[in-house]
Amino acid sequence: MLFDGLDIREASSAPVARANPAAKLAVATVISVALILTVDPVTAGVALALELAALPWCGLSPRNLLRSSWIILLGAVPAGLLTLFFGVDSGTTLLGMGFVSVTQGSLTSAVAITLRILAIGLPGVVLLATTDPTDLADALAQNLHLPHRFVLSALASLRLVGLLAQEWQTLTMARRARGFDRGRYLHQVFALLVIAIRRGTVLATTMEARGFGVDAPRTWARPSRFSRFDLLVVLGGLGVAVAATAAGLLAGTWNLVLA
Amino acid sequence: MNTPWAGPRLFAAGAAVAVALAVYLIGLPEGTSLFGTPLSDLTLPTALFVATAGVAVTASTARAGRWRVVDIVTASVLGVAGGLVFAVWNAASTPLRDAMVPPASAIIAGVWLFPAVLGALVVRRPGAAVYTELVAAVLSALVGNEWGFATVWYGLVEGMGAEVVFALLLYRRYGLPTALFAGAGAGVAVGLLDSLIYYPETLGAGGKLAYVLIATASGVVIAGLGSWLLTRALASTGTLAPLASGRSAERV
Repeated sequence: MLFDGLDIREASSAPVARANPAAKLAVATVISVALILTVDPVTAGVALALELAALPWCGLSPRNLLRSSWIILLGAVPAGLLTLFFGVDSGTTLLGMGFVSVTQGSLTSAVAITLRILAIGLPGVVLLATTDPTDLADALAQNLHLPHRFVLSALASLRLVGLLAQEWQTLTMARRARGFDRGRYLHQVFALLVIAIRRGTVLATTMEARGFGVDAPRTWARPSRFSRFDLLVVLGGLGVAVAATAAGLLAGTWNLVLA
Repeated sequence: MNTPWAGPRLFAAGAAVAVALAVYLIGLPEGTSLFGTPLSDLTLPTALFVATAGVAVTASTARAGRWRVVDIVTASVLGVAGGLVFAVWNAASTPLRDAMVPPASAIIAGVWLFPAVLGALVVRRPGAAVYTELVAAVLSALVGNEWGFATVWYGLVEGMGAEVVFALLLYRRYGLPTALFAGAGAGVAVGLLDSLIYYPETLGAGGKLAYVLIATASGVVIAGLGSWLLTRALASTGTLAPLASGRSAERV
């Protein structure tokens, strides 16, 4: 089922998996920003190699890793092939057929693009596959001090995903009982949206009735702590970004993508 | 309503104008270029944009006021609904995307932009476009898709693209033209992101321009017009009664 990924997050004892979600978020952010700035095989390759080296501490079994990252491979490989065949040509031609041509330049770009998408994607895979949404919300509100009304409302709405699946079933049965034939999916989707918004407004009233959203200081049932180890994780991510950028600069392949 | 230009708001608007003035006086660097245009040619437009957007955003905080709980929850619900649409669409559109070579593939980009415009049209609060799109993008990433964590950045920037339009109109206009412009804003944002992050070497300057234009057109039609029609249909069911958009709906 499509939405299984939301629930299957077995508790892991691996150090990085247990780190504060805010720390994992910071790592994913730093690495993706460093890699978005440039398209070159050295920077992306070094970043990917370092990430793979850190993987044993992330608590993802090979099966689990494959299950949550195959979809990134699905995006990275076609992007590389597109660049290979249709990319801006430069250098010696290796293979040419009409307007499709493979050159030294487009081969390098293709490798760079594929490595880059993988290196940007991997920290996100680890973050999303090892983090429970509730823990993430706690960390966002308590450690990063994002507005708690927004964070907790988003978390509450996330619970609607399961409920909406049930509602969809009910709607299908109700429509069949009234003699609507199948196939008018857009109408049913609209009905589902109306139900979702109604549920949302009732939910809001209930939350307010229990004191949600008042200006008094908030207390937390699940305290989220940012320990010294979490700081170490953040520094590790920063190290990967710096090392990859330094390698790219030393090799002379680093180039600002906007230029 | 007390005067909008007092205290921190006056300071923030003044700072935006000062930054814009500094950009204009110093000028953007001549060496680097964006799509073949030297950045220095973009000095005046950039300065204008910084000044207008800064003033508009600060001014809007005076009137549009604080989000109520029902606004937040409704925007979250719309974001979750958008995220579910994304999850289905991400999987369903894969063959379609593989069949089309960029820049033509930008034509379906609008589907990923509709929560931004829809959220702002329904809730009518500053930041609604960014928030709704961000929630949708986070859910899309949590369910799992081929872009992974980058989805969250995309959501943030696409939401900003739509948000700028509502901010420039001081969060006072929510008609069809506004919706179309907001869809266009989000389309420009996603077009720039895609052509810079996914196809920096695939497309030349002309190809990138075409990609941005096609993405913008897609944003106008699918996200802009689509969200406006959807908001009207939702309002006519009476579901939006507790919200600002429901109060201005025509009674049946």
